[in-house]
Amino acid sequence: MNVTHDTNNRTTTIHAAGRLDFEAAGAFQKDLEQAVADAAAGGHALVLDCAALDYVSSAGLRVFLVGARAAKASSVPFAVYSLTAAVKEVFDVSGFGRIIDVLADRAGALEKVGRSA
Amino acid sequence: MSVAQTTVKADAAALPLLQSFLSDFWTVEHLPDSARFPFELALEEIFINVVMHGSHGRDDVWADVTLRYEHHHAEMVLRDNGNPFDPLAAPPPDLDAAMEDRPVGGLGIHLIRTLMDEVTYRSVDGCNVLTLRKHLDETPAH
Repeated sequence: MNVTHDTNNRTTTIHAAGRLDFEAAGAFQKDLEQAVADAAAGGHALVLDCAALDYVSSAGLRVFLVGARAAKASSVPFAVYSLTAAVKEVFDVSGFGRIIDVLADRAGALEKVGRSA
Repeated sequence: MSVAQTTVKADAAALPLLQSFLSDFWTVEHLPDSARFPFELALEEIFINVVMHGSHGRDDVWADVTLRYEHHHAEMVLRDNGNPFDPLAAPPPDLDAAMEDRPVGGLGIHLIRTLMDEVTYRSVDGCNVLTLRKHLDETPAH
């Protein structure tokens, strides 16, 4: 799994690529928790770009849940967007679409977190 | 019918080997990429379960994986000599629970049961045997 970050217009974007499986989950959770803490400190919103995320298992879903909870607890606006077919299927089957804001594209995610241009 | 089998020690480090084994089978049999995901997911969920729970306090646990394909039906059988455990006996997770109330876990088996056509558990000669089947719509590209 490959994770990169960028920040502009008071919005941090995490680009998650590859496989979020049992092996990758621990490191990604640390990454996401740090990003939430940084966003809270800077007054930023946080969006997660999943366009290149090919695979997620229940271990990976857990990280999404932990990240979303941390964001909520820190009042950081948080949304995920551009899910691939496999990841979207996992979100749908697990009901995560009801507890995490999932948007079809970046524009929708920015609007959801109050950062639309 | 095509069959492939491999055996590994119940150690999380073996997961990439198992995923390569599955991926190679899919390639050799020309099975559609779009149908591989539920099998990859089931392989991880079940194997990690064996590693985390089935081998608790033991270092002699192995797991073997058998893949079969015939007439649009793919089958994966996971057998392990770990502690007896029927994952299908667990109650389904509460998918309507609020974020704060969501247990962190318990989703793996729910995902597998939903994405596969058929999942059965048997205890055979002291081993756990899970059999998963799914009909593949697309014809293999021979």
